[in-house]
Amino acid sequence: MKRVFTIVLCILLAMTMAAGCSSQAAAPAANDQDVIKIGVFEPLTGANAAGGELEVEGIKLANELYPEVLGKKVELVIVDNKSDKAEAANAAIRLIEKEKVTAIIGSWGSSLSMAAGAPIEENKVPTVGASCTNPLVTKDNDYYFRVCFIDPFQGTVMARYAYNNLGAKKAAIIQELSNDYAVGLANFFKEEFVKLTGDPNAVVEIANYQTNDTDFTAQLTNIKGKNPDVIFAPGNFTESAMIVKQARTLGIETPFIGGDTWETDEFIQVGGDAVEGVVFSTFFDPSAALTPETKVFLDAYAKAYPNRQPAAVTALGYDAYLLILDAIERSGTTDSVAVRDAIAATKDFPGAAGPITLDENGDAIKDAVIKTVKDGKFTYMDTVKAN
Amino acid sequence: MKKQDKILTVILLAALFIFLIIANLFLDAYIKRVLNLCAIYTILALSMNLINGFTGLFSLGHAGFMAIGAYCVGIFTLPISVRPANFYIEPMHPAIANVELPFFVALLLGGVLAAFFAFLIGAPVLRLRDDYLAIATLGFSEIIRIVLTNMQSITNGPLGIKNIPTTANMWWIYGVTLVTVIFLVLLISSSYGRAFKAIREDEIAAQAMGINLFRHKILSFMIGAFFAGIAGGLYASMLSTVDPKNFIFTLTYNFLLIIVLGGMGSVSGTIISAYIVTAGLEIMRFFDEPLSIFGVSIPLFRPGLRMVIFSICLMIIVLFFRNGLMGNKELNWDMLRGLFSKRSKRIKGGEAR
Repeated sequence: MKRVFTIVLCILLAMTMAAGCSSQAAAPAANDQDVIKIGVFEPLTGANAAGGELEVEGIKLANELYPEVLGKKVELVIVDNKSDKAEAANAAIRLIEKEKVTAIIGSWGSSLSMAAGAPIEENKVPTVGASCTNPLVTKDNDYYFRVCFIDPFQGTVMARYAYNNLGAKKAAIIQELSNDYAVGLANFFKEEFVKLTGDPNAVVEIANYQTNDTDFTAQLTNIKGKNPDVIFAPGNFTESAMIVKQARTLGIETPFIGGDTWETDEFIQVGGDAVEGVVFSTFFDPSAALTPETKVFLDAYAKAYPNRQPAAVTALGYDAYLLILDAIERSGTTDSVAVRDAIAATKDFPGAAGPITLDENGDAIKDAVIKTVKDGKFTYMDTVKAN
Repeated sequence: MKKQDKILTVILLAALFIFLIIANLFLDAYIKRVLNLCAIYTILALSMNLINGFTGLFSLGHAGFMAIGAYCVGIFTLPISVRPANFYIEPMHPAIANVELPFFVALLLGGVLAAFFAFLIGAPVLRLRDDYLAIATLGFSEIIRIVLTNMQSITNGPLGIKNIPTTANMWWIYGVTLVTVIFLVLLISSSYGRAFKAIREDEIAAQAMGINLFRHKILSFMIGAFFAGIAGGLYASMLSTVDPKNFIFTLTYNFLLIIVLGGMGSVSGTIISAYIVTAGLEIMRFFDEPLSIFGVSIPLFRPGLRMVIFSICLMIIVLFFRNGLMGNKELNWDMLRGLFSKRSKRIKGGEAR
């Protein structure tokens, strides 16, 4: 027993030494002056690992295509935040203090981004989030930006779609209550829908459910009784697909609309025929090239990951990297305050997922894409302009 | 306690004090942060060890108690000026909208509230034993989380709270940790502590000895919850943000891991293992960095590897130290002296006693 323990310890020690040696050997080779470091903190293990991995894919792809700025090599420092809030803050501080990064990208999951927000603002390191949609992330934080639109905009877009395209006068909402994203969307949908119809009671029912619920009969029966023209159901894809399915079984033929979380293969797998014709808003569609950069991204993605369709968050990760690079180039320096000001001044930047203009909060004002499910596939329908 | 031990303890405390001064002046924010997190996890693990390790109640409700403390600090120390920006969907409930408490008061209130809820849940549930108690307390911690999610006007629901003042600096955190450690050590060596241990060893025998089972169990449960609430408040203040998703039941397993690793029923073991687990994970970050030996990059070294290695280390520890690093022994001056003096001396000392 003791011998095994000793051997294992020896191996671990040897590995530690090897790691130590290599980083020492690598350091003088790449002179610090010639490298611009961009930190990436993403959940690569834990509950949100799948989302983080997709974003990192896009960031790495962008780094391969555009490896240099101001004549210096850009080095990505990727750290894992374990899908844990305390770890996310640690990871961000590590990037700032140990790695001395010029800018930071991340993170998937708004609560992780919020935990890193305080140290980022304190140390004045410009940070661009790719897919964190909670408005609180950038609010009152001068150094946090994002390349995605926020929940209010998506809710507003879907309210307009319901009113203008579907001619709906009465809407029902069924929301995933434990999800900040769903609650935000639902709230702004309601606000806009009431404004459009001019009827304070236009939203006839707001039903709630919790993550991992499987039976929605009670909520749906309630909604059926109110007889709305459209049902807005922002939330996680599995639950949403089951809601649509159970609604159809109950004989509810009302159109369902939702948000970008629906855009996963699982949504169609779970929903099957029932989800045919549902409509949702999202960031990006491969078939509708929004800018010339879209094609560059798609070609590179097809080469790197054949047989796979790029996810929206991958394109957003790609955009976050490009946005920082562009800001460094425009400011002509790696001084964090200058880069921050350059990012804040971003206007009509051609990103892969559409042109990006940042508003005074640091949120992207950009077009939303409306998609539907047709023959078991996500199909592009329309692009809604930001204003 | 011998006189020499007393002197040594005072020296140790002075050393800690000097270390804190030096750390505050010279260490960078990253190391300070990790040290602070270690201390907060120490409080959490110690309070859980009081319930699980010393009283033998298999409770998994710690994330819930922590959430109560964290939200208390989050809600009541949030400056009134930033409240409207936080509560933008539904305004804060008028009853608390203009109540702002000093950090210390909010921290204590969090602890007291956590203890109060521990009493509410403990009164019916502590009659259960083993796995049943674990399930009931686990369910309770989920209930707290879901209640917090649904009280939109008080907790801001799933959106969470941001911009909580970061009052909890190193002095606060280490001060509270020290108080916790001293309190728990005194408690455990008191008659209450002996009663807790008696309950852990054999409930029926303890009852036969005249120990009021219910009273002692609920006392241990409430004290544990109180310190968990305090630690939660420090955690919220350190991170400057709270949201309900932070307190899912898997958070409890972090502390369970620490106490199992350190030894159920050992204060010093818990402290040591809280530092090993928390700081160790940060130190192991270099496994996540790309590695190349002589210009050949090894694909194995990529983000996530440290969690694999951490798990392997855990398995090794569980295999070779069945009762955790310390078992139910304590690291005290006698033990240290034993370690450093020659073997023959130790045997002689043993005979003399």
